[in-house]
This record gives sequence, C-alpha cells and structure tokens, in this order.
Amino acid sequence: MCVGLAAKVVGIKNGMAVVDASGAKREVSAELLEDLEPGDYVMVHAGIAIAKITEDDTEETDDLMGLL
Amino acid sequence: MEKIQKTAKEIIETYDGSPIRIMEVCGTHTHEIFRLGIRKILPENVELISGPGCPVCVTPVGFIDEAVMLALEHGAVICTFGDLIRVPGTKKSLADARAEGAKIQVVYTPLDAVDYAAENPDKQVVFLAVGFETTTPSVCLAAKKAQEAGLENFSLLTANKTMPNAYQALKGSADAFLYPGHVNAITGEEECRKLAERDGVSGVIAGFTAKELLTALAVTIEKSKTGIPFFVNCYPRVVRPEGNTAAQKIIEEVMEPCDSEWRGLGVIPGSGLQLREGYGAYDARKKFRLPKVEGRSNPACRCGEVLQGKCRPSDCKVFGKGCTPQHPIGACMVSNEGACSAYYQYSSEV
Repeated sequence: MCVGLAAKVVGIKNGMAVVDASGAKREVSAELLEDLEPGDYVMVHAGIAIAKITEDDTEETDDLMGLL
Repeated sequence: MEKIQKTAKEIIETYDGSPIRIMEVCGTHTHEIFRLGIRKILPENVELISGPGCPVCVTPVGFIDEAVMLALEHGAVICTFGDLIRVPGTKKSLADARAEGAKIQVVYTPLDAVDYAAENPDKQVVFLAVGFETTTPSVCLAAKKAQEAGLENFSLLTANKTMPNAYQALKGSADAFLYPGHVNAITGEEECRKLAERDGVSGVIAGFTAKELLTALAVTIEKSKTGIPFFVNCYPRVVRPEGNTAAQKIIEEVMEPCDSEWRGLGVIPGSGLQLREGYGAYDARKKFRLPKVEGRSNPACRCGEVLQGKCRPSDCKVFGKGCTPQHPIGACMVSNEGACSAYYQYSSEV
C-alpha cells in the first residue's frame, strides 16, 4: 500500500533532511519528526520522513520469536 | 540471524493444524511475499489472500473520470503519482487524456506539485490525492504550504481513505490480517489492538523484509493455535504504540472524515477524508464546480472481488488474456501494488 524507503539522515536544514538510501541522496521533509539528527535512520514515504527507525531488523525479529 | 529465519520458516512449513486464511491487507506485502518466494513454503492449510491495500486499486472509476475532466475540459495540469495514469476511466484514462494534449505531470511527492504550481502561476495545478493514512500527511503538508504561500493556482482532488472502517467491512474475510506496517507507523497500535479486544478480529502489524514477513506469519500461525483473538506488533522498529503524533495532528487540522467509495467494497461510511472548510479553496471539486460523476468499470473485470479476497486474480476470465500490465482492464493490473499485477508478474509461482 505504502512503499517505504529506509534511509540514513546525513544532513538537516530548514525542516528538510538530506537522506542517503543505499548511496542515493535526496531531500525529504523532516517536519513530522522531532529531534532528527544526522546519523538517524528514517522510513521515507512520498517525500516525507514518517518514522525514526532502527537500521536492522535482527533484534526486532529475535525478540518476537523469543516470545513464542 | 540464520537461526531466527529458520525457526520462523519451520513454524510455517510444519504447521498442520486447522486451515488458516490470512489476508495481507497491503499491496506491498502482496508483492514482497511473492518476490521473496514465501508462498512456496506455505503448507496447504495456510492460505494467503490479497486485500484492498492498494490505493490506486480501490480508487473508484469516477475519480479517474473527474481527473480526466479537469485535464481536458478545464485545462488543469494534473500532478499525480505515476500509477494512476494508466488506470482506465469510464471512457478514458489519464494516459488517453495526455495523448489528446492534456498536461499530466508525475511527481514523487505532493510537495513537488506545490513547487510546480509556485513556478507556474499561469497554470491551474491539481494534485490527485489518493492514498491511506501513510500518504495523507504529505497531502496535508502540501495544502498547508500552498495556503502559507497564498497560492491560488493549486488544488487537490481528494480520495484519501482510512483503514479502520474497512477492517470492519472485511471482518470475516479472513482468520487474521497482516496489517500494513506503514499505515500503522502513522496511526500506531491502538485501533488494531481494539479490533482484537473489542471485535474479535485477529492480526499482526507486519514489516517488509524477509525476516519481518516470515516472523509475522510465524507469530500469526502460533497465536491462531490458541483460538483467542490476538494482536501483535511485529514491526516495532518502525511502528511506535502511539504512531506519529505530528502526522496525526496535521491530518486532524487539514482534513475531516467523510463517506468514501471503495472499488469493490462500495461506499464505506466514515472511511474517507476530505478537506476541512478552512482549506475549501484547495478543494478541486469546489473550485472547478465538478458535477457528480458516477464511473462505470468494465463488466468483465473482477477487481472488486479480488480486493475483497473473494476470488484470485487468476479466477478472472480476462486475467492474462485481455488484461495484462501492458493493456490493463482493471486497476489491480495497473498498479505496482495491485494483486493482479503481482499474480501476473510471478504467475509461474502461483
């Protein structure tokens, strides 16, 4: 439904963030996330950073499987 | 890492309990599950069915007709996500309109449409606002920016939709839902938790990597064995319990709920969003005084049933024959997120 692109924040200026997604850089809106800093990872959808995320899914899936 | 994947995979492959029907609500899930070959490891008693989570697919034909009308009769520049261009309208698609001279501009974000309007003050620019809770904040930001800049040549043709009432409408279509992770990144966990606790509807929020999808399916299978309605957030690295509160706030500020027509599901009360009165100047329907349009889809097309999980794309008579990605008859074959497109692309794996 809503394809997301995981990307690393490499710069912030005037409510916009420059993000790096597998080497491709582009500017996205950072207005809907507070306290973004270079080095953070975000999920980007339609030109907007919608969530601060962790880079890797290993810990998440390890924890969930541990509950079963 | 290897151990975790194998464990989830083992849970799925070795399941021999009662049959489970799991609906992947999100079109991106449908495609990723096919692409990753996950369907190949499902035992016979686990069935995955595709749901209505492709915004282009559920947008009714009449919306395309309105957009074509704006482009051809009002001379507006249409800014849109690329997927909408080839969706058939009652008589014409936007691609047909473009062939007749209409200006159709593909944009990556609604914010680009605002920039385009600012750079072209002599043109009326309309952005086609389709999408679910994930996309709506970008539309609301665009409306706010247009208002702040005092743009008089920008407007929105809205068909934004929200999921909670659609889940209610789909209740009973499946034993459990794979909830669309990026919708929940905005809305949080609460509604899905309520669906389990209040309505007895089970589901898990799922991510999009191989590990995340396998884990979400393994959790669904294990929880289903209990027979008790369940909810688990299997995508916590992206989905916070409260969601994105800034995004929720801007939606609330700019838009209000309305009834909305879904292709295949009909009108679902309270399942749409329209611009609030304070943003009425940016409502293309008001600005161009569009008449009420009732579109008609090709009667051979079964997209409506596909979107409800009532039939598989391959059950449709025109699938892969009259209807292909090159010459689509229905929206589900056009969009990269559509179930028919996924089945067609990976048909050797079905």
